[in-house]
Amino acid sequence: MMELLQTIEQAGQGLLGPFWGPLWTLVKIVVIVAPIMGGVAYLTLAERKILGYMQDRVGPNRVGYWGLLQPIADGVKLLMKEIIIPTGANKFLFVAAPVLALVPALVAWAVVPFADGMILANVNAGLLYILAMTSLGVYGIIIAGWASNSKYAFLGAIRSAAQIVSYELAMGFALVCVLLAAQSMSLVDIVKGQQHGYGLLGWYFIPLFPMFVVYFIAGVAETNRAPFDLAEDESVIVAGFHTEYSGMGFALFFLAEYANMILISALTSVFFLGGWLNPFEGWPVLGAMTAWVPGLFWMLAKMSVFLFIFLWFRATFPRYRYDQLMRLGWKVFIPLTLVWVVVVAAWMQTPLWFW
Amino acid sequence: MLENYFPVLLFIAVGLAVGVAPLVLGRLAAPHRPDDAKLSPYECGFEAFEDARMKFDVRYYLVAILFILFDLEIAFLFPWAVVLKEIGVFGFVSMLVFLSILVVGFIYEWMKGALEWE
Amino acid sequence: MMTIETIVFYLFAALSVFAGLRVITARNPVHAALFLVLAFFSMAGIWLLLEAEFLAITLVLVYVGAVMVLFLFVVMMLDVDLVQLREGFWRWFPIGALLAAVMVGEMIWVLGNRQTAETGAEVIKHAADYSNTKELGRLIYTDYVYPFELAAVLLLVAIVAAIALTLRQRRTAKRQDVAQQVAVKRNDRVRLVSMPASARVSTQAQPDEAAASDQQKH
Repeated sequence: MMELLQTIEQAGQGLLGPFWGPLWTLVKIVVIVAPIMGGVAYLTLAERKILGYMQDRVGPNRVGYWGLLQPIADGVKLLMKEIIIPTGANKFLFVAAPVLALVPALVAWAVVPFADGMILANVNAGLLYILAMTSLGVYGIIIAGWASNSKYAFLGAIRSAAQIVSYELAMGFALVCVLLAAQSMSLVDIVKGQQHGYGLLGWYFIPLFPMFVVYFIAGVAETNRAPFDLAEDESVIVAGFHTEYSGMGFALFFLAEYANMILISALTSVFFLGGWLNPFEGWPVLGAMTAWVPGLFWMLAKMSVFLFIFLWFRATFPRYRYDQLMRLGWKVFIPLTLVWVVVVAAWMQTPLWFW
Repeated sequence: MLENYFPVLLFIAVGLAVGVAPLVLGRLAAPHRPDDAKLSPYECGFEAFEDARMKFDVRYYLVAILFILFDLEIAFLFPWAVVLKEIGVFGFVSMLVFLSILVVGFIYEWMKGALEWE
Repeated sequence: MMTIETIVFYLFAALSVFAGLRVITARNPVHAALFLVLAFFSMAGIWLLLEAEFLAITLVLVYVGAVMVLFLFVVMMLDVDLVQLREGFWRWFPIGALLAAVMVGEMIWVLGNRQTAETGAEVIKHAADYSNTKELGRLIYTDYVYPFELAAVLLLVAIVAAIALTLRQRRTAKRQDVAQQVAVKRNDRVRLVSMPASARVSTQAQPDEAAASDQQKH
């Protein structure tokens, strides 16, 4: 596999010279983006199926065997729907908002490692870059809400902006703990820092367990998913910030939300569950039995678990009330994460720090 | 170092393309037959008679301001976290002082009821 | 020779100049704020070209991700009246022009100064694994510890000021007190009443008797 890639690289360099580099990068980007888009499409099917089974229904089962063509049918339907721009709306911003929501959700993937050496840009400040990109997601929502010139959209946008902003702080503090443990901001170094030869015992979710929980819950809140989906609280503000959107504009918001879900799952796996590392590495029997499994498999398996939890949350928990949501963010998560930053830093000054 | 960021720049371009392409496709493939009722903002039964962009509860501004301040705090924590092993106990204590000054602010905020929603 | 870096630099520079101009010429304040975002972005790009990795990304994180969100909140929701804003334009124009002239003069003086021009000329190139953040970390918390603590005090003042300026208590508001809810005991809410179990329950209840037996229990 690696040799094949090398021969391709050499042949390409010979043929195209200086243009080869950018072109090869472009190919890699497509190889990252295309599966994410496919993943988003089938995540919607998975969501409907899983919710269906949890509610004792079967979910979509008409389009294709077991509903497998349903996402494609949905996509075609949305493509054929008219894009309506309301009269009072600010036309340019109204159209730009969904693009602004999607771009940060995609661009953050540039620094995510999928397996050993499988990364587009191993940037030193990777974690900072991720935090910066996720903080941009709020623009799409605010602009959509304002540009629509509709009360429901506006209310939804304000609500979700304040929500995203509050939970971003908890996320940031939780990531400081990861940085403390890894002593590096590069995502590759963070994963390698969890490799001690004891398999999953070396992963950061053990010393940073409260942060692991806080990070994932804050991630659910960041992506506006149930039980924190107040931005699209359908019984109160219709559909929130995307009330006025139809057709592909709506589809882009949908894509952004699901791409963000997959991103949060990938990041939680990288920061706390050792990314592509084998959980049984160095264990007596299981270690040898699973040594052949490629790192990519472990990464995808961990991501799937978190994605399942996302859907599970949606089926299980009732929606938060707004004051409860803000209390959880500011009065529970921020103090907890602050205390844990100090605890981890102090812990690292003692010889009892094994990670 | 810069060569690491070139793919990121390219990725932003691709991301924009992936965002714009569906909108263009949708505009081309979908029908376009606007009329007054369809283009009016979503309302319950009657026409909207005022601008939807209204003044807002000041609490939301307070949340935004507090967010900026805590975000700056996080920005200060990041370089500290990656070198803690090198700067040792001194670095730990200097951050402890920094954090305790800010915790005073946080407690003030809490006691004043700035974190309450009703 | 034009390297890719030079092209990218001129791209970002042109973008930031354009965005900066649009910030002050745009009629709609929301558009102006969004152009400011674009200006910050292109400046972050230029800083990145100077290999100031940490500062560049922090610029995006703090200014674009936080400060501009507040700006947008304010300009979107305070419905700034444009006509009113423009009223005093020509009256205050001389003072504004004077201030602008002073600032331009200062900039020319600083940039034209030979010493700054010479020391700021060379950009040091670093290897791919060079971490700008670690370099900063090594200095801020040790050599520059006093300014660092001062920054904390500054942030504290900002927190107090923000609360003092914006917090308004509403007397009529209802709040949920979680501690109080959790502390509730069974006896506060439920009162068990034992009724005499009789074989035949008559449809016409006897209120006097029921009340009497109730009182006996307590």
